[in-house]
Amino acid sequence: MFGVNLASTLKMQRSVSSLNLNLSVRARLISAGIQSTRDLLHVSPKQLSSETGLSQQEALEVLQVVSTGLGGASISALELLQREEEEPKSIVTFCSQLDTALAGGLPVGKTTEVCGTPGTGKTQLCLQLAVDVQVPPCFGGVGGQVVFIDTEGTFLLQRVTDMAAAAVQHCALLVEDDEQRVAMTTFSVETILSNIFLVCCHDYLELLAELHLLPDFLSEHPRVRLLVIDSLAFPFRQHFDELSQRTRLLNGLTQQLIAMATNQNLAVVLTNHMTTRLQGSKSQLVPALGESWGHAPTIRLLLQWAGSRRLAAIFKSSGHMDSTIQYQITSEGFRDADQLEQP
Amino acid sequence: MDCEQLELNPRIRAALRRADLRTVQDILCSSQDLHTLGLSRSDVQLLLRAAAQAYRPQCQITALALRGEQSSLRLSTGCVVLNELLRGGLPVGRVTELSGESGAGKTQLALQFCLSVQYPVQHGGLDSGAVFISTEDSFPSRRLQQLIREQPNLRSDVPKSLIDSIEFSNNIYIEHAADLDSLQVCLTRRVPLLLARGKARLLVVDSVAALFRSEFQPSDWLERNKQLIRFSSKLHQLGREYNTPVLCVNQVTETHTHTHTHLPLSSSVSPALGLAWANQVMVRLMMHRLQGTVSQGDQSSALRRLEVVFAPHLARGDRNAAIWREGVRGVQT
Repeated sequence: MFGVNLASTLKMQRSVSSLNLNLSVRARLISAGIQSTRDLLHVSPKQLSSETGLSQQEALEVLQVVSTGLGGASISALELLQREEEEPKSIVTFCSQLDTALAGGLPVGKTTEVCGTPGTGKTQLCLQLAVDVQVPPCFGGVGGQVVFIDTEGTFLLQRVTDMAAAAVQHCALLVEDDEQRVAMTTFSVETILSNIFLVCCHDYLELLAELHLLPDFLSEHPRVRLLVIDSLAFPFRQHFDELSQRTRLLNGLTQQLIAMATNQNLAVVLTNHMTTRLQGSKSQLVPALGESWGHAPTIRLLLQWAGSRRLAAIFKSSGHMDSTIQYQITSEGFRDADQLEQP
Repeated sequence: MDCEQLELNPRIRAALRRADLRTVQDILCSSQDLHTLGLSRSDVQLLLRAAAQAYRPQCQITALALRGEQSSLRLSTGCVVLNELLRGGLPVGRVTELSGESGAGKTQLALQFCLSVQYPVQHGGLDSGAVFISTEDSFPSRRLQQLIREQPNLRSDVPKSLIDSIEFSNNIYIEHAADLDSLQVCLTRRVPLLLARGKARLLVVDSVAALFRSEFQPSDWLERNKQLIRFSSKLHQLGREYNTPVLCVNQVTETHTHTHTHLPLSSSVSPALGLAWANQVMVRLMMHRLQGTVSQGDQSSALRRLEVVFAPHLARGDRNAAIWREGVRGVQT
């Protein structure tokens, strides 16, 4: 029969009720006296089936859930640390102030939301990150690929080509050793463009469908390190008469994104609109998609104008502002503000 | 799309029938509740993947594959200086807004695009006509006739014989929409017909502000925003589906202190309809009427300025311009 080796995955014992199984199966297990995953050690599907009255097919599925860790893989803190040390932790941007404020760049494995009124540079930052993620490791980059989900039609080749050319030129100036010289032979505008997988979604259903298909795509393309959704707000701000339905869908989507970010070691970047909220007689600008959505992303970046300066405020926990930096958008892309411009 | 079309295990199909989930859309929208149907986790995943695949058969393309695609086409302004500012002209398939005070020259520029679109692609056109939806004044047909007569003076880059061979006024379809209902009818029935038949490949709405400003009281702003978003989704859809540039002319309002923080505007006015509308446009252009006049031969014109407020592919910037008999032209400085 199927010899499922459970010993290695069962260092930690879990209660059966916490496993991700369908309710009736769970009830069968519990009524047969199986309380924790330890009770499922060294049990064959046939035995399990005769003990619990589950079909053999169901019994096999139970054992698979336990062994493949779908019931929630346990991983020790040490393993987690090791994994983090092996894998690059963040995507270095071409804006050193932003890198500093984010403690080294855009964090991989986490979700970041970029909000701002139109024209503040949300899309510019997304396009810039799509290029940044590809910087070869010998230049301090992660040498990854990117999936760019465009919901507004703002992904224009002209602009990405500008930024890619600027990045190539920048790296070419930094070449010092042979490794970097070799890396430059494959770091060109063409390769940068061919490492951007573009997906256009025109409404929220297409976006939801796409997110169900992405895990497969990502496992076929293990070099993808960044997922951009520009913007999340656009499809979710139309066609909704009932906001509770929207909130529910957004909650599910958040779970999916967090799972993808951690399982595939991705940085996830979403953009959001700003909206006016009336409080008494005062109106205030707040990110769209509602209050509960605000807890979904790990990091929130708020882009705004202050007079003629562009400022980015960084919130790491909702509500608590960590820092504010100044940036500019040049023909090359999203950059540090000139020293001269600072007051 | 019906679930019956999906290739599913009979067990999953039975569960869907019990839960009365009939369409693929229903499945996608209830992804979190599917486990309550008595399906195992792997069944739920199979089901969602099948539904997603059926809903989205197309796959990812790389940015490199976009090269040479229709989406990189631009509709020329008809003037070298202004094309330089806009990196070729209006992006095809996208919504561009053009706002400005009355008399700034918005409609003039919009008319110019209606002519420019009729040129072949190598001369910056799209080889098709234009739909012009007028919501404010009557359509300025006399000015249009003048612009047509003067085309050879504006487009010295195009052979005269080619200009003479285009029947400009036959390819401009003028629609009047005096209220939101008639605008809706126009956008859902007549415009798609013209675009689908290839009769037109430019949609101009002059102006969006008039209807939304007149039909709603300030207290109805929620309802107004809803209608605005519905209207703009329609524009996006038309633009995308028929690969057509969409140009929306907008009015301006006096800038209030609290909206001042949105953008560092060079003047005391900002485009009308607020943030709900601004979130929906991809390219925002503004026209200003400046102090001073310029002259050319026997003509003189008030100085204007065309400004890029935001656009994903354009730097913020502006060009001075003037309006002549032959149309709007940038002024070399």
